Amino acid sequence: MATSPTAPKPMRARPLSPHLGIYRFTLTMAMSIAHRITGIGLYVGVLLLAWFLVAAATDASAFRAFSRFIYSIIGRLVLFGFTWALFHHMLGGVRHFLWDAGYGLDDPEREQLAQATLIGGFALTIAVWIIAYAVR
Amino acid sequence: MSNSEKSYRTPLGRVRLLGSAHLGTEETARLRLTSIALVPLTFGFVWLVLSLLRKDYNGVRAELGKPLPAIVLLLFILAGVYHMQIGMKSVILDYLHGQLREWALIANAFFAVALGMICVYAVLRIGFV
Repeated sequence: MATSPTAPKPMRARPLSPHLGIYRFTLTMAMSIAHRITGIGLYVGVLLLAWFLVAAATDASAFRAFSRFIYSIIGRLVLFGFTWALFHHMLGGVRHFLWDAGYGLDDPEREQLAQATLIGGFALTIAVWIIAYAVR
Repeated sequence: MSNSEKSYRTPLGRVRLLGSAHLGTEETARLRLTSIALVPLTFGFVWLVLSLLRKDYNGVRAELGKPLPAIVLLLFILAGVYHMQIGMKSVILDYLHGQLREWALIANAFFAVALGMICVYAVLRIGFV
């Protein structure tokens, strides 16, 4: 750390600690990043819940404005994304809970947990949207 | 410290609770506690949203005015904004530095508390006004 700009160059490159770029891609790594991204998405997405509640608490015309948005194509896409982020993040939390308790940290289990998070998130999302279109 | 040599306090007793020891995991524990609560609450929230589909203004207000949907919603909001405030704090601490980090932490806390209060007020207003 002590090399100043004027110091002579070292004879050979010093070893660097490994950084993001040199790691092999793994599913557990991708799920870790996905957990954080879905968390940030939900953080922003709660604004939609606030809009809905404030509209329902205000009056019929405010509620109509919200309904127009949420039943539009864009609104449905946003809500679909919110649903997936919610379930994916929730299952990621269950996975972290199992890890905290000391389960599923070994080689096949942690991979299976990552796969279960990924598949389960999509499965729950699609199941809820099938119910949503069935009950209308 | 102002302890003189005559003090009977041990060195450990003098520093206890003054440092980060014991408190470092508190926020993570709260994040985990709220995450446990949010698993059933998420299913409750999704169930509630499904029950509101295709309902008009009056239908939605009638449903949200019932005790169980309102309480599930209030718990989901409170656990949710607390959880997301801690989560975003850890994201900010990872990626932002210096003065920007401090402002981001303040904005994060204000956003979570304000959003939580707006949602709680709206639910109570639907139920009681």
